[in-house]
Amino acid sequence: MLADWWQYDFLRYTLFSGILIGLICPILGTFLIVRRLSMMADGLSHVTLSGVAAGMLVSKKIAFFSAVNPLFFGMLFAVIGSLFIERLRKVYKAYQDLAIPIILSTGLGLFTVLISVADGFNTDLYSYLFGKIVTVSIEDLYALVGVAVVVLGTVFLIYKELFAVSFDEEFARVSGVARRAINLWFMVLVALTIAASMRIVGVLLISALITLPVATSLQIARSFRQTIFFSILFAEISVLAGLYFAYLLDWASGGTIVLMAVLILLVVLGVKKLRVLMR
Amino acid sequence: MERITKGEAVVKLTDVSFQYEEKLVLDQVAFTLERGDFVGIVGPNGSGKSTLMKLILGLLSPTKGTVELFGQPLSKFRDWSRIGYVAQQVAHGAGGFPATVREVVASGLVAKVGLFRRLKAHHHEKVRDAVERVGLTAKLDQRIGSLSGGQLQRVFIARALVAEPELLILDEPTVGVDQESIEQFYSLLRSLKEENGLTMMIVSHDVGVMTQWVNKVACVQKKIHFHGTAHEFAHNHEQILTQMYGDSVKLLSHHH
Repeated sequence: MLADWWQYDFLRYTLFSGILIGLICPILGTFLIVRRLSMMADGLSHVTLSGVAAGMLVSKKIAFFSAVNPLFFGMLFAVIGSLFIERLRKVYKAYQDLAIPIILSTGLGLFTVLISVADGFNTDLYSYLFGKIVTVSIEDLYALVGVAVVVLGTVFLIYKELFAVSFDEEFARVSGVARRAINLWFMVLVALTIAASMRIVGVLLISALITLPVATSLQIARSFRQTIFFSILFAEISVLAGLYFAYLLDWASGGTIVLMAVLILLVVLGVKKLRVLMR
Repeated sequence: MERITKGEAVVKLTDVSFQYEEKLVLDQVAFTLERGDFVGIVGPNGSGKSTLMKLILGLLSPTKGTVELFGQPLSKFRDWSRIGYVAQQVAHGAGGFPATVREVVASGLVAKVGLFRRLKAHHHEKVRDAVERVGLTAKLDQRIGSLSGGQLQRVFIARALVAEPELLILDEPTVGVDQESIEQFYSLLRSLKEENGLTMMIVSHDVGVMTQWVNKVACVQKKIHFHGTAHEFAHNHEQILTQMYGDSVKLLSHHH
């Protein structure tokens, strides 16, 4: 069974995509969670979903777009959605988390309307919702590699600014950090990551991969760097084990990956509890 | 970078008014902070003292008048590492953040190191020095969640000090800090002023304790009602305070 992963192209694409997702999702997730914006991923994933539906609709109705991967529409919608969230956060200064349900319902509403307009799709929508191994194409992988390079490059280049803004926005502002530009760019990266990851885990479960490994990591990390490091470790274990079992047992890959992440969280919580009791 | 000599203005507000929606918060205020000053800004809640501080930090822009920092108008000022800022602690809610003392203090260098640049060995040394200065070397690699309120406050002082600022601005620094730590805290500030020649400005409603430690006091209530030495303030403080608070009472009764 393990040899299949090298033999078949689509499995190799899935494996590489999974490794990349396991790297970038928890990195962005760490910054999102410490800023108490973990639900942001959920909001944006629903907008991405509506983008995918829009992409499918235009490729069905307009010949010119028939060859365009709906993924790119998903990305476009997600980026617009992220800019919209930043705007809404400014409008509702006292209720910043209100931006998320607004954007989430907009995305979901748009999605259902677009499906009804298209009168159903032949393409397997289910795979976009929950993730499916066989649907990963080389084009999807290239898009993901591009996004991963930008995310890793950004974090490498402006790690200290991201940390300063996440830890204490006012102090960062007083230090002359371009916090608006950084916030905006960060949200765009989250949007692109969600769109690029959705073939593997599915839109509905992507926020789990952004938050769960970080939640586990927060239990044991002794510093911010360690929080990022352990969250990547847990995400990679979840992705690799999840993909392996999903293929072996013919389960939905997204769900299997998320259940792995939950399992790791439970084990870490259990071990921690046990160590307290043993003391 | 040229350091300003004693007696020169580090901060200069000329004819500054600030209006928030319909309300006039500051009315034609003139205020100067000279190099080496250790000034306490006092005033009742809503008196405009926090607004005054935010104007100096560039967090707000005046409706009228000019703010100058180190001789430069606020709009042109870019040298933010010359100003250290310690915010009110309750506003942080930072206890649960998964960062170490070292990481938090290092974030104070963000302006000095500059965009796209990474911290080098000499920066890390500065971080260690700043942590030592506030007496927390033993806690260097601990998560800030494990610290007491007083210790956390000292971490924020270290974060402000690490960039070696010339002016340190503190907003209600002793709120949420226990009585014993407050004494320690002010004597730390005093030694910083004496040994490092820092200019300092403290905004506080805790008139009693603070005015024993500072050199100068400024009383704010829409205007600056008093700006003089702490000695003068101690002699006349009852009169000054009744004048200030009395004004606000009069203002209220006028409305009703």
